Amino acid sequence: MSCTEVNPGASVESVLVTTDSCENFEQMSSSLEEIKNYVGKSPEVSDSSTSVDNLEESNSLNAVGSDDDYIRSKDWLEKKKHIFVLSSAGKPIYSRYGIEDKLVTMFGVMQALVSFVQDQNDTINCIHAGSTKYVFLNKNHLILVAISKTEESVPQLVSQLNYVFNQIASILTLTRLNKIYEQRRNYDLRRLLSGVERIIDHLLNFYEIEPALTLGAVQCLSLPPSIRDTISSAITQACSKIKNLVFAILLANNKLITLVRMKKYAIHPADLHLIFNLVQASESFKTVESWTPLCLPRFDASGFLYGHVSYLAEDCQACLLLLTVERDVFFTLSEAKHKIVEKMRRANCLEAINESLNSTDGTCLNAGFPELRHYIYKSKSTAQFHQPEISAPYINNTERLLMLYKRAHRRLHSVGRPLKLLFERSPQEAVLAWDTRGFELYVILEPLIETSAAIASVGKLLNWIKKREDKLFHLNAPTF
Amino acid sequence: MTGKVEVTLNNFFIFNSTYGNNEGEEKNKILFYHPNTDHLDTQIKNVGLAEAIIQFTASFKPDGPIKSVHTLKRRQMYFQPEPNFWVVMTLNLPFIRKIKEGSEIIEYTEEDVQDNVYESVLKQAYHMYRLFSGTFVQAIEKTSLDILKTKLEQFFTSYFTTLKLHHCDIVNIFNGIQCLPLDKQTFLNVQCFINAMECNFPIIKHTAFLYNDHMIWSGIEPSNMQIVYQYLIKTLLPAHLGSELLCGSMPRNQPSPFAALHHGRFITGPENLKASTSIGKIPRVHLYSDTDCTIYHLVVYRALSASVCLFIEEKEELDMKIFKELDDFIGPALTVIVSDIAEYCTKQVVTPSSQSETNPKFIYFNKMNLAYKSSVHLDNKQTGNIAVTKECLKLISDINANKDLLEYAGEVIVKTMNDYWVVGKMSNLREFYVALQQKNASLIEISDEVKKLCDTELKGIFFHSL
Repeated sequence: MSCTEVNPGASVESVLVTTDSCENFEQMSSSLEEIKNYVGKSPEVSDSSTSVDNLEESNSLNAVGSDDDYIRSKDWLEKKKHIFVLSSAGKPIYSRYGIEDKLVTMFGVMQALVSFVQDQNDTINCIHAGSTKYVFLNKNHLILVAISKTEESVPQLVSQLNYVFNQIASILTLTRLNKIYEQRRNYDLRRLLSGVERIIDHLLNFYEIEPALTLGAVQCLSLPPSIRDTISSAITQACSKIKNLVFAILLANNKLITLVRMKKYAIHPADLHLIFNLVQASESFKTVESWTPLCLPRFDASGFLYGHVSYLAEDCQACLLLLTVERDVFFTLSEAKHKIVEKMRRANCLEAINESLNSTDGTCLNAGFPELRHYIYKSKSTAQFHQPEISAPYINNTERLLMLYKRAHRRLHSVGRPLKLLFERSPQEAVLAWDTRGFELYVILEPLIETSAAIASVGKLLNWIKKREDKLFHLNAPTF
Repeated sequence: MTGKVEVTLNNFFIFNSTYGNNEGEEKNKILFYHPNTDHLDTQIKNVGLAEAIIQFTASFKPDGPIKSVHTLKRRQMYFQPEPNFWVVMTLNLPFIRKIKEGSEIIEYTEEDVQDNVYESVLKQAYHMYRLFSGTFVQAIEKTSLDILKTKLEQFFTSYFTTLKLHHCDIVNIFNGIQCLPLDKQTFLNVQCFINAMECNFPIIKHTAFLYNDHMIWSGIEPSNMQIVYQYLIKTLLPAHLGSELLCGSMPRNQPSPFAALHHGRFITGPENLKASTSIGKIPRVHLYSDTDCTIYHLVVYRALSASVCLFIEEKEELDMKIFKELDDFIGPALTVIVSDIAEYCTKQVVTPSSQSETNPKFIYFNKMNLAYKSSVHLDNKQTGNIAVTKECLKLISDINANKDLLEYAGEVIVKTMNDYWVVGKMSNLREFYVALQQKNASLIEISDEVKKLCDTELKGIFFHSL
């Protein structure tokens, strides 16, 4: 294979921070302080740290006895993937299935295991029993546990736990989370997270049905480049005079339309996934213009950004987020939003978005690749990916398709022995996964295809994508 | 100081979870604990943690028994060979010492320790113990718990000194048997010899015939032979090789001058038939079928490069007379057969040119008959004498770990970051792996190369042509 020169969707500058998906999750790319200082303002907008002292001691848990029958129920045990979050003192915080209070004993056991291994100056990472994996992620004050009967690998499960942790940090900020537990180790965090369970549930489902989170990339809504540029400049113009606006994000149907950013700053795909998830999980955004504090843990885990969130219009279900470091500029941003919508409407952008939302990207067959069943192309320099519409035989079995990708991704990015290329044939299908400097490509082919024919199609496919790159990817990285 | 430290044994223990359940009697759970330098409190703590982990995992009803626990610094492997009895092995992960910004940091290379490899190592340790000492339950029923503890102590303490943990690889997973293919005539000669011997000496229940490290014939179940074979080629035969070399090697191409001579002697049994007064030490082995267990004397007779293993039921009394008769029968006959085999093998020897470094190296394994063949390993000693990089070997184990995903047949081709290629082909229960060091090759060339290799090395062995 020697067609590496073709590198569709590559771009010198990216709106997204481009790193591998399985790296250190604690590393932040930016600092809010810096932004405020940059525009010459004193850093007085600190996080709204509620004094923990105001919150009464929690002792309600003692009343609820452990319920072994509950844990033994067949229904509960048969769940494919359990996720638990507990404090390092063993207090339940979240359980994906069931009521935490009924699982107190289980949480106790998990906490004991973690601390016992810690006493030996070691850290427990995972346990394998049969094909079931028990994965532990030990954060400063929280313990996150996944018990999975799916085929997902340990690093993939760890990444899901990191997403859950980031979701919690996104509600509270990491600084506040740490402060709470430094002041009171036994604190019952659930009182601060009411309503967040739903978002975490949604996030976990999101990981299971979307390849984006596994890939560490986002998919763009395909749009003619001129339209995308018009939208970007509508946003830039409307917002150019607004101070301290960090990001403007327009998305629809889990796909990115455009992202305009403050100079020098980029957003990490993991943070963008949290935003996608938040938008999708919150029906209320559809009806009211909202103002919401939001911490982007990979951007700066210590403080909040404030987001003006609204859908463009009744007749265009794209969601616009304007993120700023100012906590009281709702009306300024609301005004900006109306300007943006007006401009877009005049330039027929709303129709273009609707048209793209209502049409499909076409299957491999439509694109003239009958031997390909499906593929995912990820451009590394922009952290964006493209996939065609799902076609036979996976229409009713998207789960298998996604599992094939997760399998291939896991082996390509194996921690100890990463691969450049993987070609695997089973009686069901042939899978080709290829990691180059510029892109990652995962292709599912007919099982009986000749190796040489497979290579030829892949070369053709890359050229096909290259021709359409400015439609499929967001290649400019506009700034305010 | 910087450098790499290989995987080492942290501890190894055997316990029964139903013993010592009263407060303060926890130490009774432990049947064996290595190293015994660990304080009793530490021993009890480690066993307690293992029990807790076993219970915790079981409460979620996994589809199989617990296999391993991964921590930052260690790997713990679990095996329950008999109800309530657990064998647990803890490894210290290999690590690299690095100097970063003036201070020393330690980087554990978790991925270098593969679960499927060490799972096999652990199981093999138990099976080797069971071969000589029977099951734990048998020992307790027949003798006593204390005797079982002594037996475990005797066996495992020395077993771990021989184990080269950092050289364990895919071979441990297969735990296969290398066979020697012969021409019809020579094979029939071996067969005739074994039949005649078993007829003349009805006390011989089963026979196995080896030439060097290769098996030609085995009359016992493959699952039993697997363990006996490991014992023979790793322990018993190497120990006797030294003394044999003193007798001079056999000139291979001359018409056999040995027909009348007699080069054999007992490896297990009396050392010298004329001078010895006792029959010497003869190992007793436990062979298992689905339902029961039979104990045999394992008498091994060796002439030149061939070893004949005789399985004689435990109840038979062995004396000098029987050994003399055996020697009279086997010695001359075997010498003739061996010279035929040697002659045949000389003709088959591949010329060194075809074994050059860049040639593809392969491993073949058939789970049906446990037959195994490798040009990746240059000897059977597991001392790291390999023809490919360690990374390639580990990739082969990775592919093996994923082989169930391919169902009944499949093919995997991977290219590493160093541009090595590793290929795995599976068909029903047969597995074939190839490592190629062709930096600039394309996927198509590699795929063709493997096809060619299949044709030359695996003539007549069917692989689904996907």
